[in-house]
Amino acid sequence: MGTTLTGARVVVVSGKGGVGKTTVAAALAIAAAHADKRVLLVELEDREAFAPLFGLRRISYEPQHLAPNVTGLTVEADEALFEYLKVSYKIPSISRSLIRSRAVEFATQTAPGLKDILLIGKTITAAGETRDGKPVYDLVVVDAPPTGRLPRFLGAPQAVADLVRAGPIRRQAIGVHAAVVDPRRLQVVLVTLPEEMPVRETLEAAEHLAKMNVALGPFVVNAVLPPPPEHRDDARRDLAAAGATERQADAVMDVAERHARRAANQAAAIAGLRAEADTPIVELPYLFTEPLAYRDVETLAALMIEQEVV
Amino acid sequence: MRIDELIDSRHIVVCTGAGGVGKTTTSAALALRAAERGRKTIVCTIDPARRLAQSMGLAALDNVPHRVDIAGTGRGELHAMMLDMKRTFDEMVMDMTSPDRAQAIMRNPFYEHVSSTLAGTQEYMAMEKLWELHEEGGWDLIVIDTPPTRSALDFLDAPRRLTDFLEGRFLRMMLWPYMKAGKGGLRVLNFGTQVALRAVTRVTGSELFADVAEFFRSFEGMYEEFKHRSVRVRDLLGARRTVFLVVTSPSGSSLREARFFAERLAAESMPLGGVVVNRMHVVPDAGDLTGVRAGASAAAAQALDTYERWRALARAEERVLADALGTDGLPVWRVPDLPDEVVDLDQLRTVGALLAG
Repeated sequence: MGTTLTGARVVVVSGKGGVGKTTVAAALAIAAAHADKRVLLVELEDREAFAPLFGLRRISYEPQHLAPNVTGLTVEADEALFEYLKVSYKIPSISRSLIRSRAVEFATQTAPGLKDILLIGKTITAAGETRDGKPVYDLVVVDAPPTGRLPRFLGAPQAVADLVRAGPIRRQAIGVHAAVVDPRRLQVVLVTLPEEMPVRETLEAAEHLAKMNVALGPFVVNAVLPPPPEHRDDARRDLAAAGATERQADAVMDVAERHARRAANQAAAIAGLRAEADTPIVELPYLFTEPLAYRDVETLAALMIEQEVV
Repeated sequence: MRIDELIDSRHIVVCTGAGGVGKTTTSAALALRAAERGRKTIVCTIDPARRLAQSMGLAALDNVPHRVDIAGTGRGELHAMMLDMKRTFDEMVMDMTSPDRAQAIMRNPFYEHVSSTLAGTQEYMAMEKLWELHEEGGWDLIVIDTPPTRSALDFLDAPRRLTDFLEGRFLRMMLWPYMKAGKGGLRVLNFGTQVALRAVTRVTGSELFADVAEFFRSFEGMYEEFKHRSVRVRDLLGARRTVFLVVTSPSGSSLREARFFAERLAAESMPLGGVVVNRMHVVPDAGDLTGVRAGASAAAAQALDTYERWRALARAEERVLADALGTDGLPVWRVPDLPDEVVDLDQLRTVGALLAG
């Protein structure tokens, strides 16, 4: 592993809604794949967020080739529960559909944290998968719930262990919790925009996770603007000299000034993050394009490699 | 349809959309504008960013309306509140049953999990609060922010899902030994169900079952009331004086969600007013710049490069917007991206003015 990821097998990528965590998770996977890691990119339930980035409609419940060295997988609670029951209890196949619909209804509705355990547990299991005695994946990247829900998500194993006082579910919960708080097995990468409020929320999330003993990887600051055009007073004059109408010069300079204002706000927000963050900060540029496609993910991946994230 | 017509005439405005698209900002800006136009308005938010909450005097998440100090015209007033999910649930339980029974329910260790973490609870409580505000009377306009659920289904299905959950047939079947079969006794279980029952009991252990059974027993007799409430909230949502706004950002991913929301609302015959696209990159038109570029100095060329990048982005955003929402005649309100974050009343006022166009 490179300088900024700690070497944990599972990297959980989270961030406030709208900061681009799905794109960053995909880019991280591609970056690791370029560094010759075999990567599993995990989507939780039917979010259908990764698929468009890879030109697909959805990511299947079976491991699926997404890019060289990158396998995609949608992890779903009922599949995970079924697998768990099958392996642990040798449930006859006759009741398979019944178990799936009803046991899952039970598990996910009666003990809400159970669903999160199943999702985390399945992800951790995938990270430990071996073939011929060798690990199948070097790195598992998870597009996790947004930061607002993350502590509850990662805290679910502990919460269930408190609620269920005996039995296999308790053992399972304790096992999953041990993996969540093991820095060699799991770490969280928080993605933020370079804006004051998202940065503050990110730092609060980081603090919360630290209290839960969850390892933190680098912060990723997404959508950083390039420097604004320089010598803007000269530019306005020169535009007129080059034959621009007043309306044209106004339009161009209005955009340039707004860019400068935004960039200054961003710089202040990033400085605020640098002042308080204890882990490295990775900056990714604003891409000036919509909708994002695979080539954009590649662009970000290359920049991650440059910044020695993997 | 203009925004001002909506906020001047409707009784309820529901803002829906995915997380991080500025739903709370939109809700607050609309409410502020309505109040300043003379309506007695309440905005109920779910999880506002702290500084935005502070700007409206919402220091605490205490589930009651606070008056915001603004200069409204006529009877115009702005009140704001933050939804406290658990407290709303508690109040609802107390309202629905005897004090003893309410106490018993709230003491159950399982209750806390249900009232704070069960999928759909937040949506249900937002609707319960909406109903309360409506019933309370006195509000000209209620603006309600909805939880940032990714799935549109959650929101409209919330009342039904919670009701289904509380009277879930399967659950009750699973729990019968602990519930002493209840009325009507237990029908013969088929083989598959017995297997499933055994499997799940083995996995969960029986103590959890006892707590859960107790929990369900205490809700006996309240299911009809739950159903009744969800039906009337649905009627209220579908009423002529309610309007839904779908809030989105101009990114491909949130526009996909916006489309999903719009379709879902249409399928449920809910009154969709239109789509608010926040943080659009709106670029003033400078026309053809090739001639200017030919004679541009280095400084001018840099400014032109910057301009061209933003213009290309603005065009791309218009394209994804058109692709996602098509030409189905839905009103679309574009709110340009502001260089500074919206954290005080003045900025909310600006956003409101931009929405009104």
